[in-house]
Amino acid sequence: MPNFSKILEACNPSPEKAGKALLMLNAAGMVFAAMSNTCAAAVDKNTSKEDKKFLVPAGAATGVANIGIYYLMTSKIIKGLQKAAAKIDIKDENVRKFINKEIDKKSKGLFKKDQTYIQHMKDTYFVNGDIKGALTTEAATKYKQSLGAGAGVLGAFIGAVVGCAILTPVIRDVSAYFVQKRREKTHPELEEKPYMPYFDPSHLKPGQLTRVNKKPLTMKNYMAFTNNNNLKV
Amino acid sequence: MKINSIRQQQNFKGGAADAAVNFIAKHQVGIAGLAGASVVAQKIVMSGSEAVIAPMIDVGIGEVITKTTNEKDNRTRQSSKTQAIRTHAQATGGTITGVAIRALCIAASTLIMSKLGEKTGSKIGEMINPEKLSSSKNLYKYQENAAAWGKSIGGAAAIVVMMFTNFLLDIPLVNFINKKITDIVSKDKNTSKQDKEVKNA
Repeated sequence: MPNFSKILEACNPSPEKAGKALLMLNAAGMVFAAMSNTCAAAVDKNTSKEDKKFLVPAGAATGVANIGIYYLMTSKIIKGLQKAAAKIDIKDENVRKFINKEIDKKSKGLFKKDQTYIQHMKDTYFVNGDIKGALTTEAATKYKQSLGAGAGVLGAFIGAVVGCAILTPVIRDVSAYFVQKRREKTHPELEEKPYMPYFDPSHLKPGQLTRVNKKPLTMKNYMAFTNNNNLKV
Repeated sequence: MKINSIRQQQNFKGGAADAAVNFIAKHQVGIAGLAGASVVAQKIVMSGSEAVIAPMIDVGIGEVITKTTNEKDNRTRQSSKTQAIRTHAQATGGTITGVAIRALCIAASTLIMSKLGEKTGSKIGEMINPEKLSSSKNLYKYQENAAAWGKSIGGAAAIVVMMFTNFLLDIPLVNFINKKITDIVSKDKNTSKQDKEVKNA
């Protein structure tokens, strides 16, 4: 039986770890997606055994490189943004704006909360629950924690956009080009020949493809030859 | 900008750090509002940007490879266009299923966590609700705790669920979207009709 309390401990949602949690979950999703793509290539009936010997390791290596670069880049961005957020001075006016915005979010929209919830929120962040009164210390703590967590989440978003929308297509397309080139070397029949118009020699006598007339090969004679009805293209 | 000396490296790092601090200071209230974002928001941002940007990169790389290798038959250009359509279909299909599954998992786990948090005396109840809040006395804090746990556990549970739904839902939906977009782009709906006639014959 798995130890549920230990699993729960690992999932403990502390605000500082918000960005890193998103990064780990996204990386886990990418790992499973890469595994399913590699398995699909390994199980594909239309691919030969020789191709699979190359395609499966190439797919796995591309996935590992992709996830590795994404993880390293995003963790650096998250760390940098959280360090920058820790240097910001907390001012009362910003805390007030933030708390009022949070209260507005919960009071409107599809998932709005009831009046008891809103009043408890006001009691937590304002002295005597008065929105125009002084802020409690909890409001400043909440703002500081949210700023750090928000910076981490922003870092995770930036890393996800750069990693999945820009890095992944570049790595995938470049590696696919080299895979195709290697396949053509091992299977020359796969390489498409350049298009040649079909020349039907059936109307000519045997040996007539060679130049029968002994006229000199000048442009004028050649043009006359091509306009001749004997040459059907 | 070529960085040569250690002093220049330090200035570069300092410049980037200062830029980050200035950016966060300017938009601090908005950035603090991102704190509650769950994996649903991340999936929308990630897949939405992938659906728009990745096809352009696919086509661009095809053009670059064609021009660099001086390919005469334009094969790489054609296959990059096919890949761009496939990428867009994968991003769109992935967004639809990913957002739906993640939202359902988070809603279910938030419900479970809020029920478990009420069980005083249990180990799990203590972990979820360490301040022993009663929902009737401090509804806001209690539900905030449950929502935070729900997002965390729901996100992890969604990964496990998607191991199965990748094959059952994602692949057929992506193939369907890919076919529709290919038909629109090539304006050759007769080909798919002919395939159907051959199949039904």
